[in-house]
Amino acid sequence: MAVQEVALARAPEMHPSIITRLHELVVTVDHKKLGLMYIAAALFFFTVAGSMAALMRLQLVVPNNDFISPQVFNRLFTMHGTAMVFLVGMPILAGLANYLVPLMIGARDMALPRLNAFGFWMFFFGGLLLYFSYLAGAGLSGMGSAPDVGWFAYSPLTARAFSPGMSTDYWILAILLGGIGSIVTAINLIATIFCMRCKGMTLMRMPMFVWLMLIVAGMILLAMPPLSAAQIMLLLDRFLGAMFFDTQAGGSAVLWQHFFWIFGHPEVYILIMPAFAVASEIIPVFSRKPIFGYPFMVAAAIMIGFISFGVWAHHMFTVGMSSIGNTFFAVTTMLVGVPTGIKIFNWLGTMYGGKIRFELPMLFCIGFLFQFLIAGLTGIMLAAAPFDWQLSDSTFVVAHFHFVLIGGLLYTIFAAIYYWYPKAIGRMLNKKLGLWHFWLFTIGFHLTFDTMHIPGFLGMPRRIYTYDAGRGWEVFNMISTIGVALQAAAVLCLVINLLWSARKGEKAGDDPWDAWTLEWATTSPPPAYNFEVLPKVRSRRPLWDIKHPEDPDWRYE
Amino acid sequence: MTSDQNEDHIPDAIEMPAPTYWPMILAFGITLLVAGLVTQVAVSVVGLLLLLLGAVGWFKEIFPMEKHELVPVLPESQRAQPIKVSSRSVARLQAGVASHRVRIPAQIHPYSSGIKGGLVGGIAMALVACLYGFIAHDSIWYPINLLAAVALPSMAMADLTQLKAFDGTSFIIALICHAAFSCLVGLLFAILLPMLPSRRAAFWGSFLSPILWSALVWATLGLINPTLNARINWIWFVASQIAFGMVTGYIIHHSKMVETMQTWPLAARAGLEARGVMYEKGGEK
Repeated sequence: MAVQEVALARAPEMHPSIITRLHELVVTVDHKKLGLMYIAAALFFFTVAGSMAALMRLQLVVPNNDFISPQVFNRLFTMHGTAMVFLVGMPILAGLANYLVPLMIGARDMALPRLNAFGFWMFFFGGLLLYFSYLAGAGLSGMGSAPDVGWFAYSPLTARAFSPGMSTDYWILAILLGGIGSIVTAINLIATIFCMRCKGMTLMRMPMFVWLMLIVAGMILLAMPPLSAAQIMLLLDRFLGAMFFDTQAGGSAVLWQHFFWIFGHPEVYILIMPAFAVASEIIPVFSRKPIFGYPFMVAAAIMIGFISFGVWAHHMFTVGMSSIGNTFFAVTTMLVGVPTGIKIFNWLGTMYGGKIRFELPMLFCIGFLFQFLIAGLTGIMLAAAPFDWQLSDSTFVVAHFHFVLIGGLLYTIFAAIYYWYPKAIGRMLNKKLGLWHFWLFTIGFHLTFDTMHIPGFLGMPRRIYTYDAGRGWEVFNMISTIGVALQAAAVLCLVINLLWSARKGEKAGDDPWDAWTLEWATTSPPPAYNFEVLPKVRSRRPLWDIKHPEDPDWRYE
Repeated sequence: MTSDQNEDHIPDAIEMPAPTYWPMILAFGITLLVAGLVTQVAVSVVGLLLLLLGAVGWFKEIFPMEKHELVPVLPESQRAQPIKVSSRSVARLQAGVASHRVRIPAQIHPYSSGIKGGLVGGIAMALVACLYGFIAHDSIWYPINLLAAVALPSMAMADLTQLKAFDGTSFIIALICHAAFSCLVGLLFAILLPMLPSRRAAFWGSFLSPILWSALVWATLGLINPTLNARINWIWFVASQIAFGMVTGYIIHHSKMVETMQTWPLAARAGLEARGVMYEKGGEK
């Protein structure tokens, strides 16, 4: 009979050396450490990709500018988009899910801790490989360096004839590796949520955050394989002369678009659903009310996940589909607005009549609500095929999806940082610096992206290296670039705050926000095992039940 | 979470998965394996070796039994503080008290009455519209063709003679649009009516709703149907709306109301079917 090998963990050193700390990170399978590693790596890639955006805005600040070359500009928008989606958005959600899901469901770790570590390292090495292209892309072939085919890498631009050298191959391989990481993380999340919940935590008692992460994990499992398959087909095209996407040899360039957007549009929801997850935890706590319409919120999230797989070709209205195709995808796209609207109304319903506390996490969530609504409205505008024909590939579209991903996703990531940093680090973030961060970023964001809609209406295409004077685009581009400077200053405030507060911040205690979910029942930061004794719950707000024995939730659920 | 949590036995140490570097080695191996495609074959060879090493190492880590380590539980002084009972009590809003705006109907009109009312109201509205067409333009097809212009580009560019003539496609499209909208508005009306003061149902149905609906149409018609907007007669339009509202309101208001779950006890709402839980026929529990 096999004997289980159990060693006593070494007592932690008081002041471990850098080498010891790095070793701990390399070998860790602890969901909290891996979660923080995901978030730290994503924030690193965020600063790199954000700096790339700043360089692009500097290039566009005035007409006929030659601050950078056209080739560099093409690489910048490709690497910016790719990194923000695959190396920032996805890993941040993986990081938050890793850190919070086991704590929220009262588990000691993820169901598959080693697979969890493997997922992180796949993402991390994939990211390094992508950026390694800057050093090695030109080295052997002498052509190009970083990828320059746009983040959706349309065919036939990716064919050998138009993308010689290895830069496009770096893009394919890096995303392929990251995709493996995402898929194993999704499997792990599903296994954890279904198998590791503490006693009493039925599916309908799970926090909304956990529900949404479960749906996101399911979506990743369905959305990533088509992209991986398409990337392998593209590799075969480029290395072995297969002709899947070669139109001159009977292949189809449109096929790539279908494959890419079958992944790409659910991907937008994969990115934005964690934003919903964060908002659904923070808004109730700072409104002092339980979330309004919990079952409808769950149903709406499932509906969004389901419908998001039937809207992909609204990215392809300009390809020239049949009128039936256009109508179908326009209608399904508008249909997504229904469950999304339910969510927005329910968040407002949660706030309505509540005792709202305007702490930093709540401020960012309110910003999210306002901006995501605008993003949704411009999305509905673009869902109308004739409107899309006019504005496709213009800066209007760029403004729209930055409202989704910055105004929506990034704001809730900031909210999540302010909300859970005290739990992860044990100290509060500085409120004054946080307010500077919020207001600088909000003003900067609106300067950049509100104004970006207008040159789109005036005919300014996206991804152009420069433009002539006299088209009426100058002032809007100038304002957009000024906004980026404010956003950069705001991010600097956040970085200083994160570093300073880790040492000097006010001690947080176990439950600084008087919150209700299980992560606040343990210490800040939590021990390796999370809970000395695994909790038992009777309602969706287990801590509320203890704090308010006169009016516990289980009486009503 | 239950308050007797602290009474459970707290162990001295807890088993956790042992740290391992094999997942990292395996991931690095896979990365090098594919990176060889864009660098040198030698890189792929090293990657393959690392991949095999990582896979075997990982395998040994979990077979025959997973490796664990015992993590000592923190001393009591460093553990999470027990959750305290809040000194603040809960103030719940009660329906009917000052400033509480919620009205939850105990009885509602069945949805079918909304659809029925909408369809019959739609017929009344169509009759008024056709009467207008007959009196003003000597053709009942005029308002029908105008409505069809919302979806038919050919009708949007038609002249007066074409608008007065019968067109099969226009008729079908106008019929579908009109029936669909009538059903939806009727359904909306049926849902809204129980939440409005019941004594003024006739007022809501026949006057206020048509006025509000007309105002909405007036503001948006230029975008939705420019042809209709250019030729519409607003007095007749409002008259047709009032005809719709009166008929729909009448039918819905006189439908037999059904109880909502608001009147049910909690156990019944939870799906328990036990004797004494549900109100049975005759009013006895």
